[in-house]
Amino acid sequence: MCQSERALSAHGGNEATLTPISVYRLIFYNTEPNLQFTVNLGGGILRMSVGFIGAGQLAHALVKGFTAAGVIAANRITASSPDTDLPTVSGLRKMGVSLTTSNKEATHKSDVLFLAVKPHIIPFVLDEIGPDIEDRHLIVSCAAGVTISSIEKKLLQYRTSPKVMRCMTNTPVVVREGATVYATGTHADVEDGKLLEQLMASVGFCTEVEEDLIDAVTGLSGSGPAYAFTALDALADGGVKMGLPRRLAVRLGAQALLGAAKMLLDSEQHPGQLKDNVCSPGGATIHALHFLESGGFRSLLINAVEASCIRTRELQSLADQEKISPAAIKKTTLDKVLQQPGVSSTSVGTKSRVNLFNNRSGAKKN
Amino acid sequence: MSVGFIGAGQLAHALVKGFTAAGVIATHRITASSPDKDLPTVTGLRVSVIATHRITASSPDKDLPTVTGLRKMGAFFTTSNKETVNKSDVLFLAVKPHIIPFVLDEIGPDIEDRHLIVSCAAGVTISSIEKKLLQYRPAPKVIRCMTNTPVVVREGATVYATGTHAEVEDGKLLEQLMASVGYCTEVEEDLIDAVTGLSGSGPAYAFLAVDALADGGVKMGLPRRLAVRLGAQALLGAAKMLLESEQHPGELKDNVASPGGATIHALHVMESGGFRSLLINAVEASCIRTRELQYLADQEKISPAAIKKTTLDKVLQQPGVTNAGVGVRTGLNLFNSTNPKHKKN
Repeated sequence: MCQSERALSAHGGNEATLTPISVYRLIFYNTEPNLQFTVNLGGGILRMSVGFIGAGQLAHALVKGFTAAGVIAANRITASSPDTDLPTVSGLRKMGVSLTTSNKEATHKSDVLFLAVKPHIIPFVLDEIGPDIEDRHLIVSCAAGVTISSIEKKLLQYRTSPKVMRCMTNTPVVVREGATVYATGTHADVEDGKLLEQLMASVGFCTEVEEDLIDAVTGLSGSGPAYAFTALDALADGGVKMGLPRRLAVRLGAQALLGAAKMLLDSEQHPGQLKDNVCSPGGATIHALHFLESGGFRSLLINAVEASCIRTRELQSLADQEKISPAAIKKTTLDKVLQQPGVSSTSVGTKSRVNLFNNRSGAKKN
Repeated sequence: MSVGFIGAGQLAHALVKGFTAAGVIATHRITASSPDKDLPTVTGLRVSVIATHRITASSPDKDLPTVTGLRKMGAFFTTSNKETVNKSDVLFLAVKPHIIPFVLDEIGPDIEDRHLIVSCAAGVTISSIEKKLLQYRPAPKVIRCMTNTPVVVREGATVYATGTHAEVEDGKLLEQLMASVGYCTEVEEDLIDAVTGLSGSGPAYAFLAVDALADGGVKMGLPRRLAVRLGAQALLGAAKMLLESEQHPGELKDNVASPGGATIHALHVMESGGFRSLLINAVEASCIRTRELQYLADQEKISPAAIKKTTLDKVLQQPGVTNAGVGVRTGLNLFNSTNPKHKKN
């Protein structure tokens, strides 16, 4: 019996003691090139329930990643959205997730609750589910630009110590190569952070950061995949211009980018050093790099990160102004929300110029 | 089956590292389902591992930093190219394009029927290699391939074209080897220059991009290490999404850009600066330069200015190599069909 097999049998298949990280290490970091065994992760590692307020791109990507990683079973996941026509909703259903139109129901069924809605919707959602939050709940906001303090301020109307975390992730969680950072709120413990890290590390890189870095992370790895997709489209165009069939060009471009990124992640060397190693004297690559430099390629990317970060801060400032215009919500969406059991007009304050992040109970100003 | 590398530089090092990590080169733990270990090809493997017993790499210059690395990985290093040829079945030519003619002249007499010559040199055509080797053998088996450095982490991108006398099985053998270190597919030879511009040089574009992205992150307040990590991870994740998706890159980009959000603001800045055009230019420039190098090589003249005297001396010191076997005089035609013993002056 090899080392890894011994380690596994020592755990005796006890789900509670195996973390996704240790299983990952057992399978991928062993020294046996021909080791073959299967580990049944069908039941998932985490025994708690996870909920998503919002059933769009982000919820879909996270659920797909989590279930592929086996870190949580699909039947322990609930997602809610008043809009059942979203294309992602059927995708979520197919993965075995419980769907509901009631955010309150998703709250009741969860221990870890992801807020996976657009930033301007967050205040509505918090007002709606505030009364249903219990001590066990860990609220994880994924909304760009929404601060922990704004969320805590809202929830403090309902509970004395709401456990809030803020995270910024990105869509490649769907293929388990995401980049996630998180910051821990006032009343969340270190264990809550570790729990979130366990979840998010199953779908990519995850690390804790100071909250004031999250906007910069949004600009870099939050928006980063979009920069890459644009680059890949252009690289494929270049390949097609020089005679390659489109499919092959897309394939080679993506593979080159993936391989280079992996080299960088696995290496101690500076990106500049790795670039030097690819540029043989008088060769093809250095000719190409000259074009990139002449056109200010690097500067465009710095500009992009900066623009995304600045816009994130703008959105945060708009939200902090604590005014929400009725123009930001569709009447049909609002009606759907109001039809949910337990939701009343007073608990979802949307009349003109309502202060939504105030400390008083949801009494509306007129 | 033994694998040899003429040249012990970056490419040989990267390939050996990848092959070793893939388990293709296993000293005592080999999985293969062929009952006959002397078969040059192995079929029906569940794990793409080929029974390989030895790697040899050669270079007249034993002070290269990559040489130590190769030795540590268990490759046998020698200063004699002829020794590598004698010890190999699959022989990679992993030297710079302008060295290829020298090498072919040197090892030509030692090539046997079993040898599969795989040239990795940018811009060097199959026909130029075959023309040279036909002086020594009636049916030299030549394959041309273009790979890239991420083979070192087993995520390379490789294409190959099969020469006149190489069989389909030879192509499959190479494909099996290269597929153990990344993506590999056969192409028509006339596409290889374009592939050089795209995936051959591609990693350099990516390293540049991550350096710049990290600068952006640092400008906005992130510590450098975290910025490099996040930038590389974002690129890796996006590339993986594209490879595993049926969707168009434009569609994937749309899915990330929420209305009025941070990402679409950033994309506008990139488009305003002609980001896409720069990348098309880069692929084009690399491809054009590759064709230039090929053209220079095809002119079949090699200047003595292209080889260091010390390197040439080292080669001439190897057993079995004579002045006549490595023709280096001013303006010598090296890809001709006449007997190499008759040098023109």
